[in-house]
Amino acid sequence: MASSQEVTRHLLGGGRGRSPSFWLLVGVLTVLFGAGVVGLIIRLQGGFHERSVWGYYAATVAYLLTITQGAPLVAVALRLTKADWRRPVTRAAELFTVVGVLNFFLFLPLLALVPSAQGRSTVWLQWPWGAPHVWDTLAWALLVLCGLALLYTSVLPDVAAARDGATGFRQRVSAWLASHWQGTERQWRVQRGGLVLLGVFYLMLFVLVHTLFSSDFAMSIVPGWKDAIFPPFHALSGLQSAVAVTVVAMYLWRRAEGQPYLGRDQFWALSKVLFALSLLWFYFWFAQFLTMWYGRLPIEQTLLQLLMVGPYRVPFVLAFSLNFLVPFFILLWNPARKSILGPTLAATSILVGTLFDRIRIYVSAYSVEESAAHILEQVPATRLPDGVDILMVVGLVAGAVLFYVLAARLIPPIAIWEVKEGLYLRVERLFLRKGVSVVGKPE
Amino acid sequence: MQERRDTSFPQINQDLLRGVIKTPIWFWLVLGALGMVVLGGAGAMGYLFYVGLGLTGLNWPVMWGAFITTFVFWVGISHAGVMLSAILRLTHAEWRRPATRAAEVLTVFSLATAALFPIIHVGRPWRALYWIFPYDFARGIWPNIRSPLIWDPAAIFTYLTGSSLFVYIALLPDLAAARDHTTGWRHTLYSVISLGFRGTARQWRLQVMGGILLSALILPVFVSVHSIVSWDFGMTMAVSGWHVTIFAPYFVIGAVHSGVAAVVTLLALMRWVFGWQDYIRREHFDALGRLMLVVSTAWLYFFFMEFLFALYSGESAEIALREMQVFTPPWSYFFITFLLTAYFIPVPLWLFRGVRRSVPLMFLTSLSVNIGMWLERFLIFVPGLARKQVFTFDWYTYRPSAVEITIIAASFAVVALGVLLFSKFFPLVPIYDVKEGEVFSTRIEVGRRKVPAVVREE
Repeated sequence: MASSQEVTRHLLGGGRGRSPSFWLLVGVLTVLFGAGVVGLIIRLQGGFHERSVWGYYAATVAYLLTITQGAPLVAVALRLTKADWRRPVTRAAELFTVVGVLNFFLFLPLLALVPSAQGRSTVWLQWPWGAPHVWDTLAWALLVLCGLALLYTSVLPDVAAARDGATGFRQRVSAWLASHWQGTERQWRVQRGGLVLLGVFYLMLFVLVHTLFSSDFAMSIVPGWKDAIFPPFHALSGLQSAVAVTVVAMYLWRRAEGQPYLGRDQFWALSKVLFALSLLWFYFWFAQFLTMWYGRLPIEQTLLQLLMVGPYRVPFVLAFSLNFLVPFFILLWNPARKSILGPTLAATSILVGTLFDRIRIYVSAYSVEESAAHILEQVPATRLPDGVDILMVVGLVAGAVLFYVLAARLIPPIAIWEVKEGLYLRVERLFLRKGVSVVGKPE
Repeated sequence: MQERRDTSFPQINQDLLRGVIKTPIWFWLVLGALGMVVLGGAGAMGYLFYVGLGLTGLNWPVMWGAFITTFVFWVGISHAGVMLSAILRLTHAEWRRPATRAAEVLTVFSLATAALFPIIHVGRPWRALYWIFPYDFARGIWPNIRSPLIWDPAAIFTYLTGSSLFVYIALLPDLAAARDHTTGWRHTLYSVISLGFRGTARQWRLQVMGGILLSALILPVFVSVHSIVSWDFGMTMAVSGWHVTIFAPYFVIGAVHSGVAAVVTLLALMRWVFGWQDYIRREHFDALGRLMLVVSTAWLYFFFMEFLFALYSGESAEIALREMQVFTPPWSYFFITFLLTAYFIPVPLWLFRGVRRSVPLMFLTSLSVNIGMWLERFLIFVPGLARKQVFTFDWYTYRPSAVEITIIAASFAVVALGVLLFSKFFPLVPIYDVKEGEVFSTRIEVGRRKVPAVVREE
């Protein structure tokens, strides 16, 4: 077993991010991101008078919200439940808060596409002022700020370790960021309390932002779409994708750097969570579908046409298969759950499926032009992506990856203090004739 | 688990089998009192069957009242068993050990009690059998398999069968322990029902595998039961406030909220009555309190979504219904009581560690939750039906009659009586699970401090 000093030295990573392949990756991602920004500028020049052309952009923003901004909750939930295997996982998850900054700025142009809440069905009812624009922006900004505060609180002990061990630029930045951290008992207590409080606050903001975004930027612009389960479904999809993106990030770190800390334990445990969330994804979808389909109300049949079986049936079938069927049939088998490749394949499937799910929701919703009507009379035709849409989707997703990779260049992608804590709290012992792990529970 | 006291295995056997082996006077007194209430309920039911449903407060258009509310309430309580037992088993939550049996037993008795209510509600229950037997094939009329009359019993009895098996599999090692500590007819009984369990490695492996498999298989059933019950309402177009896409998960999370609260109530009673302070410890209430904080807040979110989207479309019937629920007495009194007791009184209190670790306060707050959750179901079903018709002369205000109240009170006595009688024959805290917890608990040295530790379960 590695000593505490060896863990610090290894995870502070003298060689991390200095290989040519790293810079090649950064270069490719930067070019793609640049292309995405160019696509966005072209779209902005076209103005906001035609909402339907923004459908793929809205789907991309929703996609990035869904897959990245729930990831810190993986760390929060595992810390709250004191899962022993969490230690090497948490940082890979909470680093995604950095992508939230990019995503917040990408969200802002969408505000111009949403009409005022007055005179139409919205979750703001008769709210007097600022709805939905001001409040949605505020909620989203708070989510990003809370995520950054959570990340800062979590990395503080590691930054202090970098301050004490690094040289040059990293040492100066670390010294500035962690100038006051000495690792006193009181500081550790405050840090742990802060992680819990910020984590709970982040969870509430995450649910709030999903609720507001899904209802204000999708449901309420389709006349007659009244669907109480849609915001929880959107948030649940965010949780499913959060676990998926964490698994994929773990796999890539493992491949890229041969991390010995990310082992089968972590993949196995997360695969069970992923399996449960995939079943819940189906359950929420089924509750929505069954209630609408069985009711035979004309408006609900039209909505099913719009969202599932009409012009967007291809993305719907792909989303259904990749978000539920593929992970279900992979993760059903214990050998697959227990492997490293099985959960990674299921997670990749979910990440691709979620993109199609957001496309079938947002592109279809944005292709409905008249949001002040009471009922959706006619289902609009399929809107296929044009060149600018493809540039934006690929470029902005690449931008999100770029932000994550650069953040992981500056911050250790595995929480040193948590791994070291695990070293103290876990011992291997002989139990009768079998070797077992014994885990300390100090709290 | 930090507060564990080192207890020897013979001591654990002696403590946890005390209720099975000895019969104190209070047992007979409580048994008599509960028996009287159950008899009263049976009498009221017989009278209802004799005279007819006119004895209830039901009248057109409110044809579903307190009976159906209580049916849904007990189905909800039954969700505690799987929630605590299966999920906590699968996640290896260490604090589950003393709570699982009580939760599973509560599931079985509350589900069996719930199943009584649709039968009572029929008014002439023997007529309900006509669609099963003797069936009139000659006229070519076939049962409608899409009917709730098919799906509700199918879901409930599947869940009841699964839960009973779940209880039995988990009970086997304890039955063997009871067999080894009893004589006479009891020894014979336990010998037969313990199925020759001797605690060999193979038997343990099978018992553990059986528990895990049942845990995994019963979870979809657990979700389906309340979803199907919710769709009895959600698929009804004619009643305002019922046709809502969120109903299924909203009912399930509400069921878990009330079910876990009921387990807390039962655990507090078990601790007091059997003197099991060393087994059902304050730290267990603390852990349950934390779980309830999460579950209740998730439930509040679903409630808020359901309420918000009722107002969302601006439909006048929906808004009028919500106005009636919130502002018109007596519904408004029920609504305020429901919100306060189901969430706004207990949940802020659970934020404090001192409250979570106080057994009397946890007992009271968990009771409060279930008062609120009964009212929640009542407020979902009755006001919508009362305003079902367009014309005001068709409106009706429902008030449960004395017969209905007696039968509903008796249902609580039936569940309590069932649990009490179970405790007379079987240990309410799983002995083998507690012993396993003892074996798995240890201490490790971290610096100069000794820290409680557990062997990690595979």
